[in-house]
Amino acid sequence: MRSDIGRKELWTPGRLLIAGFGGLLLLMIVAGVDALMVFHQSRTTNAELRSDFLARGRALENIRNGIYLSGTLARDYLMAPLPAEALAQRSKLLETERQTDAALEQYSRTLGVAEAESFRSLLAEIHTYWRVLDFMLEPDHAQQHRNSSYFYNQLLSRRAAMLTLADDIAKRNEEDVTNGDEKLARMFDDFRFRLLLILAVTLAGGLALAGTTSAHLLRAQGNLNQLSSRLVSAQEEERRSISRELHDEVGQSLTALAMEAGAAANSPEAPEELRRRLESIRQLAEHSINAVRNMALLLRPSMLDDLGLVPALQWQAREVTQRTGVKVRVSAQGLTEDLPDEHKTCVYRVVQEALNNSVRHAQARGVRIEVTGQDRAIQVLVQDDGQGFDPSQCQGLGLLGMAERVRHAGGEIDLDAGPGRGTTVRVKLPLPRNLTA
Amino acid sequence: MKPVRIVLADDHAVVRNGLRLILQQHSDFLVVGEASDGREALRITAREQPDVAVMDIGMPNLNGIETARRIADEYPHTRVAVLSMHKDEGYVVRALKAGVRAYVLKDSAESELIAAVRAISSGRSFFSPSIRKILQEDYMRQLEDDGLEDTYDLLTSREREILQLIAEGRANKEIAAMLNLSLFTVETHRTHILQKLNLHSVPELILYAVRKGIIR
Repeated sequence: MRSDIGRKELWTPGRLLIAGFGGLLLLMIVAGVDALMVFHQSRTTNAELRSDFLARGRALENIRNGIYLSGTLARDYLMAPLPAEALAQRSKLLETERQTDAALEQYSRTLGVAEAESFRSLLAEIHTYWRVLDFMLEPDHAQQHRNSSYFYNQLLSRRAAMLTLADDIAKRNEEDVTNGDEKLARMFDDFRFRLLLILAVTLAGGLALAGTTSAHLLRAQGNLNQLSSRLVSAQEEERRSISRELHDEVGQSLTALAMEAGAAANSPEAPEELRRRLESIRQLAEHSINAVRNMALLLRPSMLDDLGLVPALQWQAREVTQRTGVKVRVSAQGLTEDLPDEHKTCVYRVVQEALNNSVRHAQARGVRIEVTGQDRAIQVLVQDDGQGFDPSQCQGLGLLGMAERVRHAGGEIDLDAGPGRGTTVRVKLPLPRNLTA
Repeated sequence: MKPVRIVLADDHAVVRNGLRLILQQHSDFLVVGEASDGREALRITAREQPDVAVMDIGMPNLNGIETARRIADEYPHTRVAVLSMHKDEGYVVRALKAGVRAYVLKDSAESELIAAVRAISSGRSFFSPSIRKILQEDYMRQLEDDGLEDTYDLLTSREREILQLIAEGRANKEIAAMLNLSLFTVETHRTHILQKLNLHSVPELILYAVRKGIIR
């Protein structure tokens, strides 16, 4: 046995439990906070992505419209019959250019890496386009180029290129959204991994905690069982030695005293008065002898050690009958004389307790005791015709003591009692291998 | 007249002294040895070949009952009287079966011890009156409880007479002489008695007689 008595342990079971459960709780809190944060982040990220996407889409749409509109306005300008109308168209065109530039400026602020190149090309194209348009729309050049196919070709091809670029950027923009989705998915994947990790750690920690706690409990239970077994056998040993001491030492001394006093009382030379006193001393000694004998028998009947189980049970039965008038019958079958001491004592004490219960609590009129040796086991039956009782209501020390003794000897006990059907106690004790019943 | 030679066995010196004092008051008794346990008692019995061995039941090494059994086996002419603190029937039965012919309670009057030694030295048995009373009461209760027929009623008056003589420890020859019968007749009676009472040995018959209050 480990001797850790008196040593202060850092990890007492209580502290271990508190620390363990605290740790598990902390892990769960961490997991919960993480989850909340991830959900919050995903929501904001999603909203940002959406609004970004929409804003860029709008800006791109404005750019595209600007390009279309500028073409139309340029054409209208050239085809305007009056200079005043042409001027109005021109200012409209300049306004469109400005708006488009603003949209470009806006777009550039939220520019993604993937679309940067396309956007720079688009920007360059558009600026060139503006320059060409502006040059063309200079009042001096206007008339002169009105029918020029150069501009027509120049503008048309540039416009087509620009629109392709814008489409390209729109596609990239969509890709960005997809990328954002992927980012979100990755975030969720990370989160799931962390959650699984925490879950695994929690589970492992919980199992470990349960394991150590059960081990502690089992050990404590084992210690308790051992202790109660030892208590039972120590009590029995004590009773035996006190009983022997009373019977052999005190009893014999009193016997000698009675004999001497008796002999002296009978000696003819002693005066009458002295003889009378000696006789009364002898009688007192006899009383004491009887008292000592009864006390010794109650503690532990000497028959159990001198004569064996059955004579001891028969003595017990006679005692109870004499004392209470309850008829007790003992029958025994197939028992060897050399039963192990533990079994003898166990059966005797169990019968004693059951008999006590029957007489004291169940108001029985008759009790039947059967002890049978069979198949390497002793079967004991104690049955009374009393009023019975509810075993669940009566967990007295007596019943517990019986169960403890039987358990210690490796046997089973079964108690059947109910109002109106008497009480039956059955015990089965296996015998050691080297003994047959 | 030759004195009765006695061996005392008790693990308590004070008790042995008391016994010796009592016995020595009678000139026809001679204490030839004292033993403090069963083995010593056997040794002294072998050496002294006494007429009577008086012993306690509870002795170390070899208890009184076992010692009595060996003495009855090995030295049949030495009769054993048990002197015991135990009042219980179980002890009396065990002692009887071991060949003990007298059972005296230690706390009984000294006259009982003298009577017991006298009885067994002349071949009869002896039981303390309180023991007889206990055995009789137990027997009556058993008969009552079990509702058994009293087998004693089955015996003829001659058989009852012979039962008493056997229980007192008389030999068949002695009984034949006393009743003026042939040895064969006595033996036949004896068989009938054992059969009718469903008994199997002389110790059982003695116990029966004590229980029935036939001998005193």
